[in-house]
Amino acid sequence: MEPGRARNAVSQLRKGTLEYCVLALLRDGQRYGFELVRTLSEADGLLISEGTIYPLLSRLRRDHLVSTSWQESEAGPPRRYYQLTDAGKRALADFSDEWARFRNAVDALVTTQGEQDDEHAH
Amino acid sequence: MNMHTDPLVDDYLRRLDAAASALPAHRRDELVSQIRDHLQEALRQGPAGDKAAVRNVLERLGPPEEIAAAATESAPPGQLAAGFSQVNGLAIASVLLAVLWFAGIGAVLALVFGYRARREIENSAGSQTGSGLATAGIILGWIGITILVAGVILISFRPLKH
Repeated sequence: MEPGRARNAVSQLRKGTLEYCVLALLRDGQRYGFELVRTLSEADGLLISEGTIYPLLSRLRRDHLVSTSWQESEAGPPRRYYQLTDAGKRALADFSDEWARFRNAVDALVTTQGEQDDEHAH
Repeated sequence: MNMHTDPLVDDYLRRLDAAASALPAHRRDELVSQIRDHLQEALRQGPAGDKAAVRNVLERLGPPEEIAAAATESAPPGQLAAGFSQVNGLAIASVLLAVLWFAGIGAVLALVFGYRARREIENSAGSQTGSGLATAGIILGWIGITILVAGVILISFRPLKH
């Protein structure tokens, strides 16, 4: 099977989980946009174009999962900070449970399948 | 404001603004200001006029057309309205109260609920509908108030018999 197929599947997964990665980054406190974006882009493979995270942040705000506030910075102009709302905390908790279940199910299938293939090969 | 003098940055922001033209004005302004802030943060540390640094930051951001597309697809106005929209409850309450009138109190509440419903619908980015209902509630509410005022005037100026 062509490798592009697997990559496409993972890219779809990434798209679907990115907003929860953003919410998770805000779990321990507020962050400003640039800080969020750079942390995400340094987590391997999570972000291709840094700029696309900003529309996502706006959508999370419109969905009332995060709220924003302007705060002074030590140097330069004020920064727009993002923080979790109660609804955002609930959404993140729900996702964490679902994700753990999903990840375990996929892991169980993918790994046992791999082991069986190995056995056949030997 | 010192970063804005860089022609590469200016050009990038112009392209972004043009690519985001399908968005409502306030969403486009928000997007451009987010990216402008990002550029300012990213370029603050480096020396001014460092072309390579600017190019690197812009490359990491990605093509402005891609960012604008992400913003447009994150809430397609028609699709959202068709998919998950629900009628604002206050809009319904507004029309009901206006019709029931309740000695004028209904009309006053219809106005309060109607205006609040319209604000909520406006802020819902397409996930709520019913602004027509809310407007109907507001109009009926004002009619109700007019009737109330007219009634009070009529009663107080009624010529006393006997």
